[in-house]
Amino acid sequence: MKTNLFQYVPGNSVIHRMNPVTKILLTIVICVAAFLSGNLFYLAGLLVVDLLIGIIAGVAGKTWTIFKGLLKIAIFLFVLQILLVRNGTPVLWIITDEGLLTAARVVIRLVVVCMPLALVLAVTRVTDLTNSLVQVLHVPYQYAFTLSTAIRFVPQFLEEMAGIMEAQTARGVAFDKARGLKKFSMILPLCAPLLISSVRRTDQTAAAAEVRGFRLRTRTSGYKKYPFTAVDLGAVLFCALLLAGAILLK
Amino acid sequence: MIVFQDLSFTYKGEKQPALQEVCLTVPDGGFLGVIGPAGAGKTTLARAISGMIPHHYSGDYYGSVTVNGLDTVETSLDEISQLVGMVFQDVDSQIISPMVEDEMLYGLENFGVPREEIPGRVEDALEKVGIADLRDRTIGSLSGGQRQKVAIASILALKPRILVLDEPTGELDPRSSRQVFSLLKELNEEQGITVILIEQKIMLLCEFARQLAVLNGGRVIFQGETREVLAHSDELQALGVNCPRVTTLSSILSEKTGEKQPACINLDEAEAMVRRLIP
Repeated sequence: MKTNLFQYVPGNSVIHRMNPVTKILLTIVICVAAFLSGNLFYLAGLLVVDLLIGIIAGVAGKTWTIFKGLLKIAIFLFVLQILLVRNGTPVLWIITDEGLLTAARVVIRLVVVCMPLALVLAVTRVTDLTNSLVQVLHVPYQYAFTLSTAIRFVPQFLEEMAGIMEAQTARGVAFDKARGLKKFSMILPLCAPLLISSVRRTDQTAAAAEVRGFRLRTRTSGYKKYPFTAVDLGAVLFCALLLAGAILLK
Repeated sequence: MIVFQDLSFTYKGEKQPALQEVCLTVPDGGFLGVIGPAGAGKTTLARAISGMIPHHYSGDYYGSVTVNGLDTVETSLDEISQLVGMVFQDVDSQIISPMVEDEMLYGLENFGVPREEIPGRVEDALEKVGIADLRDRTIGSLSGGQRQKVAIASILALKPRILVLDEPTGELDPRSSRQVFSLLKELNEEQGITVILIEQKIMLLCEFARQLAVLNGGRVIFQGETREVLAHSDELQALGVNCPRVTTLSSILSEKTGEKQPACINLDEAEAMVRRLIP
C-alpha cells in the first residue's frame, strides 16, 4: 500500500515527546513568523529550522519527500510571480528585480508554512492531537472528532480507490497506459462510487461512535494526560526567539 | 433477557420492510446463533438489539424490543450501549481511531471506566483475542483479519452483559474463527454473558450456539434449540441455508432407513448414529 503523508511515524525523539499543543504552537509561530518577516535570509533560516525539526524527529526521509513535493508547486508559483509582477527595474526580458524578490519571498513562505503542517501529523498521533486540543485548549469534542476521523479515513479512501481501480482494470480499463489529462479523465468517474461508499461508511462510523458512548465523552474523559514538561518550555522559548527574530529582521 | 414483540421495521426511504413481525426471546446467559440468506434482516435484527434502531437508523417501527426490561425506544442509546456491545459486520466502519491502542481506549474512556482499571482491561481483551503484539500498530498497517480482531477486542474490553456480533469471523481464517467462537463460549459459560451471533459458518455455529434462529425475508422462520431447528434440514436447504454435513447425513439416513433419526450436530454424534445403524 502507498504510504501517505499524513501517516504517523512512531518514535521517541524530543519532538515526539513534546506536548501536542506545543507542537501546534510551534507550527503556528513558524507560520506567523514567515509572514511577519520579508527578510530573505530570515525566511531561508526558517526553512532550515523546518528541515532540522524533521531531522531531529527522525523523519528525514519523509521531510525530504514533503519538501520535494512542495518544490514542484513552488517552481510553478515562482515562474507565475516573475511573469506577473510589473514593478521595479527590468533585469531580463519582462522579469524585474522586484518580481524576483517577491517571487522568492512567496515560494519560500509557501514551503516554510506547509512543511510544519505536514510534519506535525507525522510526529503526533492524531488521537493525541485531538485529545490534547480537547483537554488543554477546551476545543469541543465534536470538532476534534471530525478532525481525527477525517485523518483516519485518508488511508481508508486510498485503499477503497485502489479497490475500485482494480475492479475496473479487471474489466479492461487500462489505467497504466494513460498519462496526464487522459488518466485524470479516467479517474474522475471513479469519484461517484467512492463518494457513495464513503457516505455510507461515514454514517456507520457515526453509529459505531454512538454505541460506544460518543455523547457521554467529556473534556476529562481521555485516559492519557498531556502535562507540560521542560521540553515544552524549551520549545516555547524557541518560539519566542523565532518571533523576536522575525520582528527584528523585518 | 431480550424480547422481540411483533417487531416490524422498514428503513426510511425503503419500500420493503427489513423485519416483519419478529417475535424472539433470548434468555439471560443464552447463546443464540442467527442464520439466513443475504438480505434476510440479520443485521437489522442486530441493530434493533443494540438500540441503533430506532436511535440511529430511522424508519417505520412497529412492535417493541426490550433488553433486560428496558424498552429500546424509551431508553437512551447511551444507556443501552453500556449494556449491549456490538461488533459490526463492516469492521472498517466500526474502527474509529487510527491506532490500535486508541481504539481500545475509546469506549472505556467514554463510559467513564475508572482510570486504574483501564490498562488491565485493555491488556486482558487484547490477550484474549490473541493480538497483544498489535497494540502499538496503526490500523492502516493491519490485515483484514487483524482489524476484525481489534474490533472484537475493543468491544470485549467494555465488558458488556450482552454481546451482539454481526459476522465477526468473515475475514478470519478457520483457526482464528474457531478461536473466536471458543472465546465467546467461554465468556458465555463462565461470565454468563448473553451472546447473539450472526454467522454464515453454519458448522461452527451449530457446534457452539445453544439456540438457533433462522431468518428469511425479514421473518423468523424457525427458532428454538439448535437440534430442533436442524431437524428441518430440508426446509433450510430450500431457503439456501446449508446445514452441517453431519446433519444432512442424519436426514438422508432417516429417509433411507424409513425411521426418524435424531439430527446430528457434531462428528461424534454422527459416528454413533452410523455405528448404531451398521451393526
